[in-house]
Amino acid sequence: MKTHPLEALAAGKETFVPHPPYIPSPLETVKHFRLGVDAEYIAWLTFDTPNSAANVWNDTTLREFGICLEEIALKPDVRALIIRSAKDKITVAGADLKALRHSSVKKLERLIDLGQSTFNKLAGLPMPKLALIHGACVGGGFEMALACDVRIASDSDYTCVGLPETQLGLVPAWGGSTRLPRLIGLAKALEIIVSGKQLKAKDAKRLGLVDAVVPREYLENVARARIGSVQHTHRRREPLLLRKFIACRARKAVLAKTRGLYLAPLRAIEVVTRAPFVDPSKAMELEKHAILDLALTPETERLIDVFLRNEVASKKPWPRGVALPVHDVAVIGAGIMGAGIAHWLASRGHRVLMQDISTESLARGLSSIRDLLNEGVKRRASTHLQMRDTLDHILPDHSRAPLTHQQIVIEAATEDMALKKKIFADLATRTGANTILATNTSALSVTELAAAVPHPERVIGLHFFNPVHRMPLVEIITTMHTTDDVIATAVSFVQHLGKTPVVVKDSPGFIVNRILMPYLLEAALLHDSGVPVELIDEAMLEFGMPMGPMRLFDEIGLDVAAHVGRTMTDAFPDRLPKSETLDRMISDGKLGKKSGEGFYKHPQKATKHHWTEPDHHLMERVQERLVGLIRDEAHRCADEGIARSEADIELAMILGTGFPAFRALAAFGAPLLSGSRAREVTTLPRTA
Amino acid sequence: MKPLYIIAAARTPFARAGSSLASLDAVDLGKAAVSALLTRSGIDPHLVDETIFGCVGQPANAQNIARVIALRAGLPESKPAMTVHRNCASGLEALTTAHAKMCADQGDVFIVGGTESMSNMPLYFSRRAAEKFGALSKARSFTEKLGAATAFRPADFAPIIGLKLGLTDPVVEMNMGDTAELLAREFKISRDDQDAFALRSHLRAMAAAPALQRETTPLYVMGREVQSVLADNGIRTDSAMDKLARLQPMFDREHGTVTAGNSSQITDGAVALLVASEEAMIRHDWQPIGRLVDYAYTGCDPRRMGLGPVRAIDAVLHRTGLKLDDLDVIEINEAFAAQVLAVRQCLKDPASARRAGLDAPIGDIPEEKLNPRGGSIALGHPVGATGARLVLTALDQIRESKARRALVTLCIGGGQGGAAILERV
Repeated sequence: MKTHPLEALAAGKETFVPHPPYIPSPLETVKHFRLGVDAEYIAWLTFDTPNSAANVWNDTTLREFGICLEEIALKPDVRALIIRSAKDKITVAGADLKALRHSSVKKLERLIDLGQSTFNKLAGLPMPKLALIHGACVGGGFEMALACDVRIASDSDYTCVGLPETQLGLVPAWGGSTRLPRLIGLAKALEIIVSGKQLKAKDAKRLGLVDAVVPREYLENVARARIGSVQHTHRRREPLLLRKFIACRARKAVLAKTRGLYLAPLRAIEVVTRAPFVDPSKAMELEKHAILDLALTPETERLIDVFLRNEVASKKPWPRGVALPVHDVAVIGAGIMGAGIAHWLASRGHRVLMQDISTESLARGLSSIRDLLNEGVKRRASTHLQMRDTLDHILPDHSRAPLTHQQIVIEAATEDMALKKKIFADLATRTGANTILATNTSALSVTELAAAVPHPERVIGLHFFNPVHRMPLVEIITTMHTTDDVIATAVSFVQHLGKTPVVVKDSPGFIVNRILMPYLLEAALLHDSGVPVELIDEAMLEFGMPMGPMRLFDEIGLDVAAHVGRTMTDAFPDRLPKSETLDRMISDGKLGKKSGEGFYKHPQKATKHHWTEPDHHLMERVQERLVGLIRDEAHRCADEGIARSEADIELAMILGTGFPAFRALAAFGAPLLSGSRAREVTTLPRTA
Repeated sequence: MKPLYIIAAARTPFARAGSSLASLDAVDLGKAAVSALLTRSGIDPHLVDETIFGCVGQPANAQNIARVIALRAGLPESKPAMTVHRNCASGLEALTTAHAKMCADQGDVFIVGGTESMSNMPLYFSRRAAEKFGALSKARSFTEKLGAATAFRPADFAPIIGLKLGLTDPVVEMNMGDTAELLAREFKISRDDQDAFALRSHLRAMAAAPALQRETTPLYVMGREVQSVLADNGIRTDSAMDKLARLQPMFDREHGTVTAGNSSQITDGAVALLVASEEAMIRHDWQPIGRLVDYAYTGCDPRRMGLGPVRAIDAVLHRTGLKLDDLDVIEINEAFAAQVLAVRQCLKDPASARRAGLDAPIGDIPEEKLNPRGGSIALGHPVGATGARLVLTALDQIRESKARRALVTLCIGGGQGGAAILERV
């Protein structure tokens, strides 16, 4: 019986095949790019990751990009290729670090190969290629732009370019280490790659990283107009001797800065001074070997890990509660911390009421803010207009003006519990019950302060570090009363300030000072027992700390350190070392930098100390003992659960003290070396 | 008439031109006053419907200075701002303009005030010099440029002083000081009388220093060091008759009687007031410091502009049906001692009253009611700001003495007078 085709279809019989099987063309599988050719035969390739504010390079996007390039190569009438992004703040944010992490050598090698071949394919296309840069275009993103003939950047504040790979323990390996020196010359390229600096459009233009800077709206038109005049200019290559000289100088600078503790910058110098001067396939090999060697070291893995954790901490909202927007803030006290906080808040667009009882303190506070701003203008980090705006946003007041429309009041008075309690009681009468009352105390009990006011649930600690404009960490200290809404608001407030918040339960010293104090006091004790100041500092610099403990004493002030130490000693009476020298120096008025003399004499140029016979053995032991104390205390913090996670403790130490990110802070989870045992292990000879 | 309530006030210290506030321009001063007003009152800037500021010598780089001040002081971009100009009464004009707007249903809450940086009055080039600069900028070839450059003469570089221009009436071509000299001659006001009045101004201001200090808000001047400017600096604590008598006349060098000592000082300063309608005041539960009841502006002979207050007082009393006796404090701006004394004489003496254009005298102002805290001779006269300062001072006085009413009046360059009546609430 013959059935009608429609009947067969209705019956679901498989005998009816209306079309041959459908095989999609490769271009149709592309999800992250849009490709179109306009009437002028210009190909427009738009990177537009669906459902995301960012574009990144990974296996999929690189493959799709390659498919698009092949498609273009097949069309002989295409006059030019223009690559752009559909995102508002990002062109390409580089390689997908999450994918990079914990991948096998093989997978990593495949990814490097894929990136190199894709960008080489791009560079090899016969027509002019132009990259339009609006928003961040860094790392792998900028390596793609480097493979183009022309780069046109928008003048937006979001726009920045750079190759930050060395900051993460890597080197640019998708052709960046080869192409950038060819574009702008070896010396400038080294500076950019080794420092990992990200440049604003204007500076990028000045250094030659981009060819033009125009308003975002004109990017397309300017690109169109430029097509006719694209030239392949080849820079004159630096002669061998000059290359050697530049490499040597860069190496010296890096060694002086990092003491050779970081491998990536050194390796980058090696690659960048060689790759541009050999044939292309050899250059790619050089880049690949360098990144494969670096990527699998634990140091690099930790650097990437810390970077990602910092990204999360500085963006992720508090899991519970509602974060309310903060516009107006009051800062109580115009001292170093008060002025520093007011400056940072105002420069971030908040209106800041800076209150102090004395007009002289206000004048001094404003003076220090003005100096900070002047410095910024001099470094060309900000403009005169921004400086004036910031100053306009700071409202000095000594007359107890009402605090009715400030959402947060930050107290930054002297570290004196009685005084702070008085201030808090007064603040409570002048603010609404919903105003968040924050204290910038570095060691006093926030719980005790909260008890001084009605509605203690809105009291919180916001511990900024000195100098505020440079230190990326803010400890947020919560008491048992603090509500989630208040924490959520504080977290989002700190994140909007461009700082990284770490939430800590109220406990003596919080995280950073708690871990730092035993280390500092022990360092003073070591000095008591006859170890030279310079040697102690040198040992910790060798370990990777940005500043030795003795110099740190001088910077923060011996009296301030002793004050924090006392809070800690009260809390943990049997554990903290006690140094007699420290007390004696304080009573002698040797308070550090501010008094002209502490463990060092000030002002004093940081002269490099040369020992005739550096006692490496002693230095190692000093290091072992001091680092042991840091690790022990970190361990205890984790055991007590004062932070949300061990990772938070580590992040706080890295951001708050400069603890070297490439080193493990503590073997969390392993049994704790008790303080006494740690000391036994590292007992030092009491040499005079 | 609907009253306009004054809710809060702030002013910068008044500083002699060229002294502690010289590095700030009129915008900086106005911004400081408005910022301090917002800070001290703690009000939400979004409640303000419009900012109205008076300024006589507006800086060339801030043509609608009120808008520049409003934005820099943190008022919302969505709220408009306008600048008003009625010469020496510009600060009062800002207040009365707000009143007119309120009555026309064009807003409920205003920030008004005045600002003036007499230290920063510009210097101008003559028209002839300006033409030569124009020719130089248009010159293309070297010879053209050389030709244009050599056309300049030394006299072209002599600046025209903006301050002097501003204080000269362009219609009758008389300096303000000359108008005061004219009044001194016509009303037979002696040098001694003028100096005595000037001394009185200093002594009274000195006695009222704590009260005047209450009005001011400290200013932080960003020089090499940041200086806090805390108080007015015009009052001369060592002022005495013999010292005043030694000063040379400034305008009529030979026979004149008007000196720097018995004229108002050239000063920098700004004042800001928060004002609102009764409804807005009740709605926001604000406590007013006083209210504006009525006001009048009148004209007179520009040569005798100092007599401006006479007709203005007459007009405002007529409008309100009040008599001179109903007023507890009378603030006549002290542009010149001669001019205040002439006004006083015209109010009480029938012959003088007729010359000032009144049908009959209004009455004598009792000594204790006239400028009880001194005036512009001691504190200075930042022209655009003074009108608002007088309002602030008058209100503080009736509040302190629990009196009822005050009158504020100013003579206005160009031949006008302005007067306003304020009440304690």
